[in-house]
Amino acid sequence: MLLYVHQSSCISPQQTFGAKDLDSLQPAVNNAFRIIEPSYEGIPTGILRRMGKAVRMGTGAALPLLRNRATPVDGIIIGTANGGMEDCIKFLNQIIEYQEGMLTPTNFVQSTTNAIASQIGLMTSNRNYNITHVQRGLAFENALLDAAMLAADHKAQSFLVGGVDEISAYNYNIDLLDGWFKQETITGNDLYSYDTPGSIAGEGCAMFLVNSHPDEAVACIKAVEIIHSSDPAWVAAALDRFLLHHLGTQQPAVFMSGEDGDSRLHAFYQACESKMNAQASVLRFKHMTGEYATVSAIAVWIACQIIDSAHIPTHMVKRSGGGRTNSVLIYNCHKEQQHSFILLEAVRP
Amino acid sequence: MSRIFVTGMGAISAIGNSVAGNRAALIEGRTGIGPLRQFNTRYADLLPFGEVEISTASLADKLSAHEPGLTRTSLLALHAFEEAVADAGWDEAIVQSSDTALIGANTVGGMCLTDELYRDANSREAGSPYLASYDAASVNLYLQKRFGLTGIINTINTACSSSANAIAYGARLIQHGFAKRAIVGGTDSLAKFTINGFNALHILSAKPCAPFDQDRNGLNLGEGAAFIILENETALKERKTYAILSGHANSNDAFHPSSISDEGEGPYRSMKGALELAALRPGDISFINAHGTGTENNDLTESRAMLRLFEKVPPFASTKSNTGHTLGAAGALEAVFSILNLYHQEIYPAQNWQQPIPETGLRPVHAYQQLPLQHVMSNSFGFGGNCTSLVFSAC
Repeated sequence: MLLYVHQSSCISPQQTFGAKDLDSLQPAVNNAFRIIEPSYEGIPTGILRRMGKAVRMGTGAALPLLRNRATPVDGIIIGTANGGMEDCIKFLNQIIEYQEGMLTPTNFVQSTTNAIASQIGLMTSNRNYNITHVQRGLAFENALLDAAMLAADHKAQSFLVGGVDEISAYNYNIDLLDGWFKQETITGNDLYSYDTPGSIAGEGCAMFLVNSHPDEAVACIKAVEIIHSSDPAWVAAALDRFLLHHLGTQQPAVFMSGEDGDSRLHAFYQACESKMNAQASVLRFKHMTGEYATVSAIAVWIACQIIDSAHIPTHMVKRSGGGRTNSVLIYNCHKEQQHSFILLEAVRP
Repeated sequence: MSRIFVTGMGAISAIGNSVAGNRAALIEGRTGIGPLRQFNTRYADLLPFGEVEISTASLADKLSAHEPGLTRTSLLALHAFEEAVADAGWDEAIVQSSDTALIGANTVGGMCLTDELYRDANSREAGSPYLASYDAASVNLYLQKRFGLTGIINTINTACSSSANAIAYGARLIQHGFAKRAIVGGTDSLAKFTINGFNALHILSAKPCAPFDQDRNGLNLGEGAAFIILENETALKERKTYAILSGHANSNDAFHPSSISDEGEGPYRSMKGALELAALRPGDISFINAHGTGTENNDLTESRAMLRLFEKVPPFASTKSNTGHTLGAAGALEAVFSILNLYHQEIYPAQNWQQPIPETGLRPVHAYQQLPLQHVMSNSFGFGGNCTSLVFSAC
């Protein structure tokens, strides 16, 4: 597959929207990495007020890429595990608290996971392909695969592809009860220093304009691998095959590890990192984003910045390699069962 | 593009626990619409529903599925999955091959467990066994573990068109070489969440729904699951094939979060796109399994879109009058019915229809018929304007 990234946009807990600054690190607050909300120019106040956070940030990140286009994009492809979870549980709470009395449908309509893609379609009057992938930790990867297939079939077309998930009080509570967040207070880089289960909650959104044309592209997404397994050896063997197939005997310049401080996932990250030789720089990013299902969308956005600027923020470096930045391999593991490899390369040599 | 064949099917709904059971009910014009028996909601006796007859506990026993955290949504999916895989004659090695994809769809996931979810979302005390079972992906993650699947797995949620998109995605994975075969479909179970949501929108009928009738006044929610098996031509060796998936298209109506535009722009574009991909003319379509929910808005706008696209609207009907609207399962369940139309060369009648909608004058098929069918279209339109049409063709 070949997917060329032409423009991108990211709303995250770091300074990624508007004036970008990835070198200075914004810490977590109350054990969560929450997004820095922009002013959402272009979204009417009345509509903005009714939007849940996931719809707000998804639409807010997408619109700058869709405005001022001569023709509408040919597809809107979103990956999200939960969509508007906050609205979803607000509606659920009404059901229980009002004993299924007369309820207002606003939260219900906003809560469907396809509300982000459909809101973007609605606001840009886009009647083309519109879809929402929800395969939890591989929702964004499936969105990329979908976009790559469309780009291959329709050479003249361009697509919006993105990943969005929010921290709601409710999904935070459910994941906390399920043991996915640490009890220790975490602020940032110290995330990796605990030998305990759980990580730290995060949220965010990254959107990309992609097509099959290399001209003036920022980066190329060369391959995406989707893996379901609970066996580190299986995942490591899959990485061997992936490297051989896509890079031959070469190594990526940068290995971006989704390491998140969860002791239960060390074996997976260690098994994959051990496949990298000294030429590959090993980077981490979850101290910028926190952990959530579609965080790999922001990882791809960061990788695009690294490839485009040939600059690596120092706080990301786990191990320095040969100093090159022309290819990035992202490995991410979500809740032990879901894994992905995403390979990006520079378009210009 | 290589042709995509349907080589297996599985279905469970209010009208039957197997594909054969569903077909028998469709031929007889039997509906599964009635009061709720399986779970407690204040609407159990106030509104009719299309409920699967088997209780959740009996389903779990029947399927020997007793893993903790298993929901009714997943059990319905498992039931249809096992029937489809057995029907295709697959052994364990094929199911577990890295060339076998699983593409599912649903809208409620484990949110059928409203009360458990309420506690888990709001309380800091010990969680229920369902903490990892609420999202849509939980269904396929369960099937992955149970069967040791190693190929591409995805879940799609485009509201009521979810599983039609799952079918199209599976076909595209095969055509692009990401899989050689795919298990594609969807599932949903009745939930207080959707019952109250649709009720708040005032689109649930207090009577059995009457798609395309002038006095229709809403839909009946249903539940169920369906999977079909897709394989490319090279995988076939003297194997049974039901039909060819010849066209699919996805379009957004971009009009309103919960209703379709007056002229049915999204439905028109999805039907037209599916015809184009199948390289067919409108006149080639022998029958349409319409979305036909029985709401004022859907049936009128779908009718208008059909009148725009087809010089002469082909025979059409909606099986939602038999099964209720099964949401994330509807696209796949109705794909099964469309494939049965082709395979048996027969049309199942719409129930409860009496008078055409005055603005359109369109009359759905309301008696069982056997007739030659070459290409059948199946429509699925959802909240958020997500419209998808599929075209199946006789082999």
